[in-house]
Amino acid sequence: MSAMNPSQLRKWILASPPMQWGIHRLRELLIAALRQGTVPKHIAFVMDGNRRFARSHKIETIEGHNIGFESLAKILEVCYKSGVKVVTVYAFSIENYKRSKYEVDALMEMAKIKLQQLSQHGQLLERYGACIRVLGQRELIRPDVLEAVEKAVDVTKNNGDCFLNICFPYTSREEITTAIKGTVDDFSKPLSAQARPFSQTRITQKIRSRNLSTSPLRSTSPTPSSTSDVDDSISSTTTLHTDSPHDGQDGPIYPDPETITASHIEDHLLTAGDPPLDLLIRTSGVKRLSDFMLWQCHEDTEIVFLNTLWPDFDLWSFLPVLVEWQWKQKHIEERGFGNGNQKLKTKVR
Amino acid sequence: MPVASRETNIYRQDAKVNHKLLTPAERERLIEPFLPAPPSRSPVSRSRKDGIPSIRIDKPKGHSRLGVRKFLNSQLHALVYAIIHTIFSIYIRFRMGYHAVKDRIFAILYYHHRTPELIQKDVKGLSRLPEHVSVILKLEDGGRGGAGLEALVDEVSEIAAWCTCVGIPMLSVYEPTGILKGYVPATHRAVSRKLSSYFGPQHPAVSLRAPHVPSVESAPNSPISDISGAPIKELSIILISSEDGRDSLVDLTKTLAEMSQRSKLSSKDINVDLIDAEIAEGVMGEPQLLILFGPTVELSGYPPWQLRLTEIFHVQDNQGVGYQVFLRALYNFADVQMRFGR
Repeated sequence: MSAMNPSQLRKWILASPPMQWGIHRLRELLIAALRQGTVPKHIAFVMDGNRRFARSHKIETIEGHNIGFESLAKILEVCYKSGVKVVTVYAFSIENYKRSKYEVDALMEMAKIKLQQLSQHGQLLERYGACIRVLGQRELIRPDVLEAVEKAVDVTKNNGDCFLNICFPYTSREEITTAIKGTVDDFSKPLSAQARPFSQTRITQKIRSRNLSTSPLRSTSPTPSSTSDVDDSISSTTTLHTDSPHDGQDGPIYPDPETITASHIEDHLLTAGDPPLDLLIRTSGVKRLSDFMLWQCHEDTEIVFLNTLWPDFDLWSFLPVLVEWQWKQKHIEERGFGNGNQKLKTKVR
Repeated sequence: MPVASRETNIYRQDAKVNHKLLTPAERERLIEPFLPAPPSRSPVSRSRKDGIPSIRIDKPKGHSRLGVRKFLNSQLHALVYAIIHTIFSIYIRFRMGYHAVKDRIFAILYYHHRTPELIQKDVKGLSRLPEHVSVILKLEDGGRGGAGLEALVDEVSEIAAWCTCVGIPMLSVYEPTGILKGYVPATHRAVSRKLSSYFGPQHPAVSLRAPHVPSVESAPNSPISDISGAPIKELSIILISSEDGRDSLVDLTKTLAEMSQRSKLSSKDINVDLIDAEIAEGVMGEPQLLILFGPTVELSGYPPWQLRLTEIFHVQDNQGVGYQVFLRALYNFADVQMRFGR
């Protein structure tokens, strides 16, 4: 004990039961306090920096990813306790397949094991109403990993209190393309012809038959049967002629493409049904979106770039971001009230 | 980090052997003390399912005590919330003050003096420059006619002049309302005038266009070979607005749907490359650097498709367009630290 250097002593004090209890209570208190204000409904994370963390701590890359996973678990706890409904994480980009095969395999193995482990605790997840969804190109996932993915998704699909969207092999451009494709597919399905109980062909036939029944009467009276025969054959050929192009024109009726709006595309996105993205956080100081949530984040989303590496990201670095978001939200609300105060408030800002 | 280090250690040992050390039940017991109380909804539904009235008998006793505790707890939380936000608003005033002072110092140290040589000297050490820079501008207008528009046109022409001096051939200006699109020739005149105040009468040519609006080119009378001191011969500016974002993707979808209805196209043919080509043709390509002049990163409807790999730069708590922000964005893009003093 006496040979301890200060850093070890600090560690020992921090790890002592009363200290741990105190920190735990403090965390709980802070999280519960945050719930008093508005809390973002939907947060997205780009978990960047695992590899750099591993390099700087001289551990294996996959160890870095493992610690990153623990960090994710901790952040998820904070998010859901403070009342966030949906958390979306960028776990694996389609571009990441270009990394070394060794790392990709290790990551896949890790995902498989964690997901398998998760499905073992179905009851626990049900108790908290946690639902897991995997967004992305599933056809790119290895079959054995896909099995684990499907199992985990299946186990939790009926829960609806908090959602975790894992973007597994995902890029936003691919997502938008798929959404556009889905919309185009929707609009190239012919409307069902039996929507109304009246058929156009029946009506035209009826009109024609009435015309037929009236015209022969006029024609037969002055002339003998020879002309009526000709008349009949003409009318039959015309019905044939008019009918066949008519069918081709009227048969498939398409919905008007001019009625397509942004919400149609939105409904086909992988995040359809989720509340709008309020906050997007990217760690490790890279100031790019890297093909993540492009459609979702380009309007009112607050985007925050942090310099911490993802494994170092915890409540203490998350809290300031959240508080600043709340502060800003309060300002927006205040500015919404009354025009007189508006100028003053903006000046203060 | 050190919260519950014993359990963390056990977890890590378990993880090291791919979770074969513990059974699922043991694992659940391990995390049990850290789980919050399950949401109130589930026990209620369970008791309803059982339909046993005996559960309800002992409820009122605990209920009143819980109520008081709940009330006290919520009061405490409200208090802590108020404290956090008070501290935060004090902190943020200080931070804003600090940043304002820092930005002032930068603005004094780095000023362009409308001299292309000075600007070129500022960016001489940079290893790489973006080919295509994009900026987001805001129309600051209290509803009083031309003042906001005039300021906006002036900002566009200033930025255009800096880009020309640095040698960036492509500039796109995003402004949500799209008011500038109605004043393309006037904006072009203003930019030309600004360039001649930097370069003299023999300034580089400017072409200004907006999607779906014919472009306005510089008068070809200036003999290009004579321009001295400008690293590029022509600057092209694109004006975009919020209708070039989502709406252009929606328009593309409409066209594709119409083609598909006439069986000119199968939906299998729709892929990223097709959309990318169409968007690049119809609106613009991907910018390499996006500069925001606002205090936070908020894209306010910037075209989403083009943002894929764009470097997004903003200066925290900054307000308004400034040369030092532009310069810091370029430094950041080239991954160079900017220091006080040249």
